[in-house]
Amino acid sequence: MALTVTAPAIGAGERRAGAGFSLGPALVIPATLLVLAFLGAPMALLFRYSLNRYSPREFMIDAVTAENYIRFFTDPYFIGVLGTTVQVAAFCTVVATLAAFPVAYLLARSQSRWKSALVIAVVFPLMVGNVVRAAGWMALLGNDGAVNAVLRWTGIVSEPVRLMYTPFAVILGIVAVVLPYMILTLQSVIESIGRDVEEAAANLGAGPMVVFRRVLLPLSLPGIIAGGTLVFILCMNAYATPVLLGGPQFKMMAPALYDQFARTTNWPFGAALAFILMASTLILTLIGTTLLARRMHHRRIDAAAR
Amino acid sequence: MPAAGPGRRWLGRFALRAVATVVFCFMFLPVFFVAWISLFDQQIVSFPPDGYTFAWYANALSRPEFARGFVTSFQVAAVATVIGVSLGAAAAYAIVRFRFAGSGTLNTLLLGPLVVPGIVAGTALYVYYVALENALDVDFRATLHGLVLGHVLLTIPWTVRLVSASLVGLDRAMEEAAANLGASPLTVFRRVTLPMMRPGLVAASLFSFIQSFENLELSLLLVGPGRITLPVAMLNYLEFRIDPTIAAVATMQIVIIGALMLISDRFVKLSRIV
Repeated sequence: MALTVTAPAIGAGERRAGAGFSLGPALVIPATLLVLAFLGAPMALLFRYSLNRYSPREFMIDAVTAENYIRFFTDPYFIGVLGTTVQVAAFCTVVATLAAFPVAYLLARSQSRWKSALVIAVVFPLMVGNVVRAAGWMALLGNDGAVNAVLRWTGIVSEPVRLMYTPFAVILGIVAVVLPYMILTLQSVIESIGRDVEEAAANLGAGPMVVFRRVLLPLSLPGIIAGGTLVFILCMNAYATPVLLGGPQFKMMAPALYDQFARTTNWPFGAALAFILMASTLILTLIGTTLLARRMHHRRIDAAAR
Repeated sequence: MPAAGPGRRWLGRFALRAVATVVFCFMFLPVFFVAWISLFDQQIVSFPPDGYTFAWYANALSRPEFARGFVTSFQVAAVATVIGVSLGAAAAYAIVRFRFAGSGTLNTLLLGPLVVPGIVAGTALYVYYVALENALDVDFRATLHGLVLGHVLLTIPWTVRLVSASLVGLDRAMEEAAANLGASPLTVFRRVTLPMMRPGLVAASLFSFIQSFENLELSLLLVGPGRITLPVAMLNYLEFRIDPTIAAVATMQIVIIGALMLISDRFVKLSRIV
C-alpha cells in the first residue's frame, strides 16, 4: 500500500514539474466554479430579490423587508395554492408507494432473463419527459379521448365525462410521472433484504400477510422513506403536469411561481414564492421522515421486547 | 396481498402479479397513446380512428417551431453534454482519487443541481441573466450560450455520480502493474485508466444528453423568440390542443430517447446504475 507507485497521472506529472504541488485535486475546480457561478450566485441573487419591495411603476425597489413572505401567508389565494400543492403531493406520494411496492417486489425477486429489460421498461417512461406523457394523458382523458370513447361505447354514459382539467387528471399524471422513481428505489432496497429472511419467517409458520407486515415492510421502510422523500419533492415541484392536465384554474406552486415572472413580473414576490416552495418542501419532508423513522424505531423496540 | 393460509398462496402470487401488470401498463399508457394518435388519419383526435397515416410526421417537421425547437434542443444538449461530462468527469476523478480535505463537501455541492427544483433554478438563472446583461452588455436570455450554461448544471450531477461509481469499482492493481512495467503516469492514464472509465463516461454522456434534451422547467424562462427548446415548444402547443401533429413530435422524441437508452444499456447495464 505504502509503496504505491501510481500517483494518478496528471497529479504526478504536475508534481514533477511544479514545486510539490499536486494538480490532481484541482481538477474539481472548473465544475465547482461553474456550479457556484450558475447555481449558487443566481440563488443568492434570487433570495436577495425576495427581500426587495415591488412597485408597479418602478418595478423593484431595493429594500430589506419581509413583506413578500408576509403577503404570501396572509393571502388566502396563495395559501390555497400551497394547500393544493401539499395535498396533491402527499396523496400522490401515498398512491405511488402503494402502487410501486408490488412491481418493485416482483422485480427485486425476479430471476428471469427479462429482468434487465423490465428495468429498462421502468426507466423508459421516466426518460421520455413529462410533456410527452402529459400529451398522452390528454389523448386519454379529453372529451373525445379514449376513456370517454370506451365509456360511451359500452353505454355507461351518454354524455362525455369531464376528466381533463380536474384534480383527478393531475393526480393521475403525477403518479405516473413519479412511479418509476419509487419502483427503482424500493426495488434496490428489497433486493438487499435476503430471500432467506422471508423464507425463515414462512418456515416458522408465518402466512404471506404476516411475512409482509412483520418482515418485509419493516425492513423496506428505509426504502419507503428514501423513495417517498424523493417522490414528494418531485410532486411539490411538478410543473408540466398541473399546467397541461389541470388547466388554468388549477394552480400549484411551480406554475404560480412561473406566472409571477412571466405574466405578473412581480419579481420580489415571485422570488419569495420560490423560497417558500423550497422551505415548505424541506420542512414537510423532515416531518414525514422523522415520523416514519420513529415508527421504525418503535417497531424495532417492540420486536426486541418480544 | 392475500389472506394468510398456505392454500391461498397461489392466489396471492396471482394477485401480486396482476397488480404489478396493471401498474406497469399504467406507466406505459400515456407513451403508447401518444405514439398511437400520431398515426390517426384525422385532424381532431377521436376514437376509434378513421384510418392511419404517416403524414403528420412530415407536417410536424415542416412546422418551424418544432423544426427549430428540435435543432435548438439538439445543439444545447450536445454542447452541454460535452462541457458537463468533461468538467464532471474531471471533478469525479479528483474526488475519488485524491481524498483531500473538503472533497465530501464538494461532492455534495456538485450534486446540488439535483436538489434545487428545476423551476426554481430556472427562475434564479433568469434574474441572474438579466443582471449579467445589464452589467456586461452581453445577451444571455434567448441565446444558445445562455441555455447551454444552464443545461450544463443538469449534466454535472449525473456525470459525477456515474463516473464516481465507475472509478470506485476500478481495480488499481492494473494501473500499478502498468506503472511498474515502466509506463509513464500519463501513459497509464491514457492507456489504462481512461479505457476502464469508458463505460461510466458513455453512460454519463447519454444520460446527460437525455436530461438536457427533455428538460422543460429550467429552460422555461431562458428561451425566447427564435430560440425555443423542443419541450417548451411542445408545451406551448399543448396548452391549446392535442392533435396528431404534436403527437408525431412527441413520438419522435420518444424514439430518440429510447434509442439512446438502448445504446447506453450496451455499455452499462441500466439496471445497475439508476
